Amino acid sequence: MFLIGSIIPNDIELVIPGNVGFFEVVLVVSFLLHILFVNIVVGSSAMAVWQEIKGIRTKKREHDLLAAQLADHTSVLKSIAVVIGVAPLLVVSVIYTQYFYPSTLLIGKAWLSLLIILITAFLILYVYKFRWEKMKTGGKKIFHVLIGATGSIMLLFVPLIFIVSVVGMHYPEMWEGSKGFFHGLFYYPQVWQRYFHFILASFALAGFYLYFWNNRLQKKAKEENKEVSQVEANVQTQGKELGLKVMIGTTGLQLIAGTLLLMSFDADIRLLYMGEDALLTTLLGGGILLTLAMIYFLMKLMKQDKRKYFMMSLASFVLVLGIMGWMRHELREAYLDPYLDEYDRSTSETTEVQEGP
Amino acid sequence: MNFPVVEFPWLGNGTVIAIIAIIHVIISHGVAIGATTLMVSMEFVGIRKNNEGLISMARKFSKWILIITTTVGAITGVGIWFSTMVIQPDSIGSMLRIFFWAWFTEWIVFVTEVVLLIIYYYTWDKWQGAKRVIHNRIGISLAIFSWITAAIITGILSAKLTPGKWTETLSFWNAFFNPTYLPSLAFRTFIAIVLAIALVSLPIKLFVKDKNVQESVFKVFGFWNAIALPGILITGVWYLFKVPAEARELIVWSTGMSESAFNWINILGLVVFVIFGIWMLKSPKKVPIILSLAVFGASMGFIAEFEGVRESVRKPYIIYDYMFANGIKEKDVERYNEEGYLPNSTFASVDEVTDENQYEAGEEIYKGQCLACHTVDGWREKRAFSNRIEGWNEEGIDTYIESLHETRPFMPPFVGTDEERAALSHFLANVVEDKKADERAEAKEGDQ
Repeated sequence: MFLIGSIIPNDIELVIPGNVGFFEVVLVVSFLLHILFVNIVVGSSAMAVWQEIKGIRTKKREHDLLAAQLADHTSVLKSIAVVIGVAPLLVVSVIYTQYFYPSTLLIGKAWLSLLIILITAFLILYVYKFRWEKMKTGGKKIFHVLIGATGSIMLLFVPLIFIVSVVGMHYPEMWEGSKGFFHGLFYYPQVWQRYFHFILASFALAGFYLYFWNNRLQKKAKEENKEVSQVEANVQTQGKELGLKVMIGTTGLQLIAGTLLLMSFDADIRLLYMGEDALLTTLLGGGILLTLAMIYFLMKLMKQDKRKYFMMSLASFVLVLGIMGWMRHELREAYLDPYLDEYDRSTSETTEVQEGP
Repeated sequence: MNFPVVEFPWLGNGTVIAIIAIIHVIISHGVAIGATTLMVSMEFVGIRKNNEGLISMARKFSKWILIITTTVGAITGVGIWFSTMVIQPDSIGSMLRIFFWAWFTEWIVFVTEVVLLIIYYYTWDKWQGAKRVIHNRIGISLAIFSWITAAIITGILSAKLTPGKWTETLSFWNAFFNPTYLPSLAFRTFIAIVLAIALVSLPIKLFVKDKNVQESVFKVFGFWNAIALPGILITGVWYLFKVPAEARELIVWSTGMSESAFNWINILGLVVFVIFGIWMLKSPKKVPIILSLAVFGASMGFIAEFEGVRESVRKPYIIYDYMFANGIKEKDVERYNEEGYLPNSTFASVDEVTDENQYEAGEEIYKGQCLACHTVDGWREKRAFSNRIEGWNEEGIDTYIESLHETRPFMPPFVGTDEERAALSHFLANVVEDKKADERAEAKEGDQ
C-alpha cells in the first residue's frame, strides 16, 4: 500500500466528545490499571508452570500448591484485566483515530487473531486450573504441565501484537513500507525493547502480588486463629519469599532493559529525556531513583518482614508505575507532535459547524 | 478509503463480523443475561423450598457461566469492536464519537459485572445457612448488571437502524433514545430468557440423572418461559412497527427465503417453542429430549435470522441516512463525484486514473467501495463477482454500476468520476475473466 498526498488520514468528522486533555488523563490512568492486571496475569501464568515443574522435580508438595495458587491468580485476574482494557482502547481509538487505526489496520489480521488466541488461551488456562487435582500423577501430570505451558506461551505472545500496533502509531512515515505483523516485529524500532521491558514488569508484579496474597493468607489465619497445616504454612512463607526474590531480580534487570529502550528512541526524542526537556528529564531521573528506592525497601522487607517496609515498597511502586505511564504517554506525544500540529483533529475548537452531543 | 483495507477474500468481510457477532449474541443474551437469571431463580426457589437439588444445580450453572462468559463471551464482545475497527473503521470510528459516554458507562458496568460474577462463584461455601440469602442477592445484582450492559449497548445498536432526530441534531440523547430503543430492548430481554432455556434444556436432559431435580428445574424454566414467550411476540410486533417502512419491506428478502418459506419456517419454529413451553408447565418431569433438541436448533435459527435481518434491512446504510455500508457518508457523494474518489482516499495506491493504471485504480476503488459486502470469488455466491457478473463486458458493467442504486435500492450508489467508474468496470471484468481462465486451466490439468 502506498501513500499519496497526505500521509495522515482525515479525522472522523464527528467531534471528539470532550476535552482532549481530560481524555489523555483517562487514557493514562485506565491503561495503567489495565496493564497492572495484565502484568500479574502474564507473569503468574508462567511462574505457575515453572513452580509445577519444580514440584515434580523436587517432589515437594509445597511447590505444587504454590503453582496451583498462581494458576488461580491467573484465571481470576485475567477476567478483570480484559474488561478493564475496554476503557483505554476506547479512548485511544477516539483521540488518536488518525494514528491508531492505520497502524492497527496494517496488522489487521494479526489484530483479529487476538480473539482466537485469547479465547483459546483462557479456555486452556481454565482446564489447567480446574483439572489440577484430577491430573496429579505420572503421564497425566506431564500433560497437565504441557497444558499450562501452552496457555502461558500464548499469553506471552499476545503483547507483541499490541506492541506492534502501538509502536506503529509513532511512525506514520513508515506505514508505507509496512508488510503486516511479522514484518512489523523487526521493521519498527522499539518493539523488542518494549517487549522485554513489559515481560520483566510482568514477573515483577506477579511476584509482588504473590507476596501480597500469601501475606494476606498468613494474617487472616492469625486473626481467625485458624489451624494451618505445616504444608500450608510453608506455602505461604515460600510464596512470600519467592515473590520478593522475583520482584527484586526482575526490577534490577529493568535498569538494563529500560536503558536499551531509551536507546531505541530517535536521537532527538531521546535527548528530550536526557536534559533537553525539563519535565521529561525529571520524570526519567525520578523514575530511576524511585526504582532504586523500591529495590532497597524490598530488600529490607525480605530481611525483616515488617508492614512498614511493605508499605514503603508499595508506595514507591505506585509512584514508579504512575511515572512510567506518564512517560509512555509523553513519548507518544513527542513522536506525534509534528503531525498533531499539521493535521487537525475534530474537536469542538476545530469544528464549528457541528454541534457536539 | 480513509484507512488501510483488510481483505478476507473467501469468507468475505461482512461474514467475519457476522460470525463473531452471532456467537456473542448467543452468549451475551443466552448465557450472561438469560442463564444467570435462571441460575439465581433456581437458587432463590431452592432456598425458599429447601430444595438442595436446585441449589446445587445453580452452583453448577455458575461454574459454566463463569467459564463461558469470561472467555468466549467477553472476548467476542470486544471482538465485535475489533472486527468492525478492521473492516468498517469509518463506521465504528463515528459510532465511538457519538456514543463515547455510553461506552464509557458500559465499561464501568462491565467491570462491576465481572467482579460480581467472580464474587458469586467463589463465595458459595462462604455464605452458608441463613446467609445463603446474601449470596443469592449478589446473584440477583449480577443478573441486573448483565441486563444493564444490554440496556446500554442496545441504545447504540438500535441507533444504527433508526437514528431518528440524531441526523439533524447530532445529539447523543436523540441517538440513544431512538425510536426502536425501547422495543428492541424489551424484545432482547425476553429473547435472552427463552434462549437460555433452549440452550440449557438439552444438557439438563442429558446430564441430570435425578428426575426430581429435573422436575424442579423445568418448573422454574416453565415459569420464566410463560412470561417471556408471549413477551417476545408482543414486543416483536411493537419493534416491527417502529422500523422504517423501507427497511420493513426488506425483511423477507434479507433472509434469502421465499415469502411462503419464510412464513412456514418461522411459524413452525414458533410452534415448537409453544409446545415446549406448555410441556414444561404441564409435565416438567417428562420433557422429551427430542423437544429440547428441536428448541435448541430453532433458537439458534431465530437468533441468526434476527441479527442477520437487523443488519441487512439497514441497507444501503450502515448508519441510517448518514453513512453508507461502505463507509462513505451520504453528504460526501456529490463532492466525490466531482473531485474523484481516489484523490480523497488517503490509503489508495493511486490518486488518478490513467490509461496505464486502469486495473490498479479499479482495484483500489473495488477495495474502497465494494469489499465491505462483496468478494471476487467467495463462498457467498450471491455476493461473489465471479458468479454475479461472469461473462459481462466492461461497458455492460459500467452502465449497470451507474444506475445500480436505483435498480438495487439496497446498494449504495457508486461515487467518483466517470473515469473512475470505467476503471472499476475494467478491473471487475478482468479480474473475473482471469479467475475463470485460472479455473479452466486447473480443470484442464485435473483432466490430464
